[in-house]
Amino acid sequence: MNRLWSILFGVVMTLAVLAFVIAPAMGWWLPENIGTFYGVDTLFYVILATTGFFFVLTEAILVYNIFAFTDRGEKADYSHGNHRLEMFWTAVPGVLLLLLAILQIRTWEEIKYQTRMPTPDHVFEVSARQFEWRIRYPNAIQLDRITSAWQDKSEPALARNWQQFPHYDDVHVVNEVHTWKDANVRIYLKSKDVLHSFYLPNLRLKQDAVPGKTIPVWFRATRANTIYNEQTREWVDRYNYEKKRFDSSLRYDLACAELCGWGHYKMLGRLFVHPDREDYLNWLKSAQEKQRQTQAQ
Amino acid sequence: MSVHETKVHEEHHELSFIQKYIFSQDHKIIGIQFLFSGLIFLVLGGVLALLVRLQLGWPHADQGWLGQILDWSPAAGQRMSPEQYNTFFTMHATVMIFFVIIPLLTGAFGNFTIPLMIGAPDMAFPKLNMMSYWFMWPGFIIMLLSFSLGVAPGGAAGAGWTSYPTLASIGMPVGGGAESPAAPNSGWGQILWLLSLIFVGVSSMMGSVNYITTIINMRAPGMTLFRMPLTVWGMFITAILQAFALPVLTVALVLQTLDKTISTTFFLPPGVLEFGNWTTNPGGGQPILWQHLFWFYSHPAVYIMILPAMGIVSDVISTFSRKPLFGYRPMVYAICGIAGLGFIVWGHHMFQSGMDPRLGTGFMIATIMIALPSAVKTFNWLGTTWRGNLHLTTAMLNALGFVALFVIGGLSGLFMAATPVDVFIHDTYFIVAHIHYVLFMSSLFGIFAGIYYWFPKMFGRLMNETAGKVHFFLTFIFGNMTFYPMHLVGAAGLRRRIFDPTMTGFESNVQFLNQFMSVSAFLLGAAQLIFAVNFFYSLFWGKEAGRNPWRSNTLEWTTPSPPPHGNFEVTPVVYHGPYEYSVPGMEDDHVMQTRKLEGVPVGAGH
Ligand code: HEM
Ligand SMILES: [Cu+2]
Ligand SMILES: [Cu+2]
Repeated sequence: MNRLWSILFGVVMTLAVLAFVIAPAMGWWLPENIGTFYGVDTLFYVILATTGFFFVLTEAILVYNIFAFTDRGEKADYSHGNHRLEMFWTAVPGVLLLLLAILQIRTWEEIKYQTRMPTPDHVFEVSARQFEWRIRYPNAIQLDRITSAWQDKSEPALARNWQQFPHYDDVHVVNEVHTWKDANVRIYLKSKDVLHSFYLPNLRLKQDAVPGKTIPVWFRATRANTIYNEQTREWVDRYNYEKKRFDSSLRYDLACAELCGWGHYKMLGRLFVHPDREDYLNWLKSAQEKQRQTQAQ
Repeated sequence: MSVHETKVHEEHHELSFIQKYIFSQDHKIIGIQFLFSGLIFLVLGGVLALLVRLQLGWPHADQGWLGQILDWSPAAGQRMSPEQYNTFFTMHATVMIFFVIIPLLTGAFGNFTIPLMIGAPDMAFPKLNMMSYWFMWPGFIIMLLSFSLGVAPGGAAGAGWTSYPTLASIGMPVGGGAESPAAPNSGWGQILWLLSLIFVGVSSMMGSVNYITTIINMRAPGMTLFRMPLTVWGMFITAILQAFALPVLTVALVLQTLDKTISTTFFLPPGVLEFGNWTTNPGGGQPILWQHLFWFYSHPAVYIMILPAMGIVSDVISTFSRKPLFGYRPMVYAICGIAGLGFIVWGHHMFQSGMDPRLGTGFMIATIMIALPSAVKTFNWLGTTWRGNLHLTTAMLNALGFVALFVIGGLSGLFMAATPVDVFIHDTYFIVAHIHYVLFMSSLFGIFAGIYYWFPKMFGRLMNETAGKVHFFLTFIFGNMTFYPMHLVGAAGLRRRIFDPTMTGFESNVQFLNQFMSVSAFLLGAAQLIFAVNFFYSLFWGKEAGRNPWRSNTLEWTTPSPPPHGNFEVTPVVYHGPYEYSVPGMEDDHVMQTRKLEGVPVGAGH
């Protein structure tokens, strides 16, 4: 009855497959992708399918072998291997793996290569420190000058200057990333103390912030979630424009993904995607106003 | 060494208890010493893991009862603090990797099996071997001391087992004391962590030199390289990996120690860092440099933690399938392939680190290709069981468990090797799932397989098979329940190393699974008690094993159990490879390597 051990292996491995089948329905799955890095999700599914196939194949053979050949009552076959079989199961996975490697290069380039980053519509600096995100936005006029100087994807001296020498009229905000729908965003990512990692799960974006370095990061959010609340006179997120109501699933968290000390877990922020540039500039103006008032006090 | 010399050796050395069991130079005793200390630290590492799981499952619950047991400082209140949490997961990983898995695989099994399996009376350098074990102890003691608040007031190290600067490395200016401006537990705790690992590294290096020399020089007559059992191959290649990679880690540890203690700036960038009101002097180094040095060692190190297990599993599977290992040479080449490629993939831990993304592309291709030898090994294990005559002993079940679960760990590696997917899953629980499938579910099952398999040779008695099977059954089930859902919560984006997993929307979605995994982890921990009881019971009251209880072929089974000092009564002569099972035309289904066969074709290692 030793062959019944195959049931243990069989059941556990079947459950392993089932877990991936029910997970999306249970919400234990990739969060909504509101960015343009679709390649990440596509590749995830391609790899899931490929590995799923090899998983089922190998586990099925293993379970079958345990079932069929346990205490067989006759001598095992005497074989030291099979050259052609070895060639086969080296070459086929080899080719598949190589394909997999080559296929993904473009998505990686799209996300991280500075030379591939699109000309930005929106520019700001994120400066991480224990345990908050300090964000510095250029004011409306400055933003205009930087983005219109930006040509042929290459960074203008103006932008670099602004990045290196903060202006007195920049707008400083903590833990709130503001952009607008369909804007190409360029971030200058820095850290003041230890490593942090700028992580926007809904945009499939992650980049460590490294003290001593300024790292360019880009993304484009394609779904707005921010609206002006007339009563409180504030901009609030989680608004569903299609259904015209609030919806908690439209909360786009910003989180620190690299251990940075005791407060790492709560080094959080929010991503506010305004419906358009105008709405963003309105928010910027109000934020600037607030900043002036606190400075005046 | 000839028969004569071996005999002389035995007769003329009447060893005192201390020489025999404490400062022993006998490779078997040293192996057993590594085994015991490894298992003891497994308990410590396990308890730390359960503390981590407790917090993750119920991040807001009262833990006062625990505070009383562990005597937390009153300031910490009724719960563990975030600093303590960081210490727990840091020390969990450190203990498991450096004090459990590596010492068990190389220290315990390497020492015990290598001379026995190649027909040598002992290691090439017995005294060095003894030192290799005793150099672990300063490491153990320093690491344990760092838990004491008297020694390290800020707590034991808490910057992750990877100890990335500047969190780990930043120190006060010379004369400013040992506290760290970045984190309380990056002070003395971190310094002790660094010192401890330097000792462990020295120990491993002495072991490696010994293993390499022994395998090259001391094989019995007829034991050609391609007649060595795969366990020995695994140990051989592992030792070479260690010998090349370890110096880099040692250098890195020394540099970080200097940064911390005398304010050198190897990992401190130019420009000023701000910690509250305090600012550093500009440095001349780079934080990322540490990552390169650390992973240049630690990626090969993950193979150090799996290749010996792969060797053990190959031997166990062939023995209990009563069938020659399928594709012996491809298996050896695959080990070499993994080791070779293993040196050029370290950057896959750094895809998001700010390293030039073009480098990432190169590391990605190498990393994807390293899955190939892993796949080849899996197929060959399946080929070995195919049309075998399987005996499902506890050792065999654990080896089969290894194969079943290594597949999962290897396949999940592909997700992370894909740079774009890694952008999303880096530093999430997906990585934690991967780590635990390769290290817990694979390496540890390999270790269990090895213990059940060689226990009779080590102690002369068999472990109880029924208890062993119950232990396997429960470990297999609870292990999967603990670690498998980590893939799902990782896909949902749950970050690793966080004190409270309910702070964000995407993370609180999966809190149910966090609790499920925590409960499973407690059950998994409890199931290990069966192993502990079985181990100690069998040590004294187990069934007498005899020389060759599993009817295996390799040389260690020609000796009495346990083998005497000097191992072999007569220097063995080897006539064929280790996996001649079920040779046609023979009544017996196994042929010891020392048995000469006339007229029967014997294939392996032609
Ligand atoms: C099929 C082969 C494998 C591939 C393709 C692979 C790939 C990877 C990649 C890309 C990472 C980095 C992920 C990240 O941090 O974003 C990683 C992490 C890791 N891998 Fe593997 N891996 C493989 C096999 C193994 C094996 C056999 C072991 C150990 C026995 C192992 C142990 C680890 C560990 C411990 C980490 C995490 C280190 C940390 O950040 O704490 N891997 N693996
Ligand atoms: Cu952090
Ligand atoms: Cu690695």
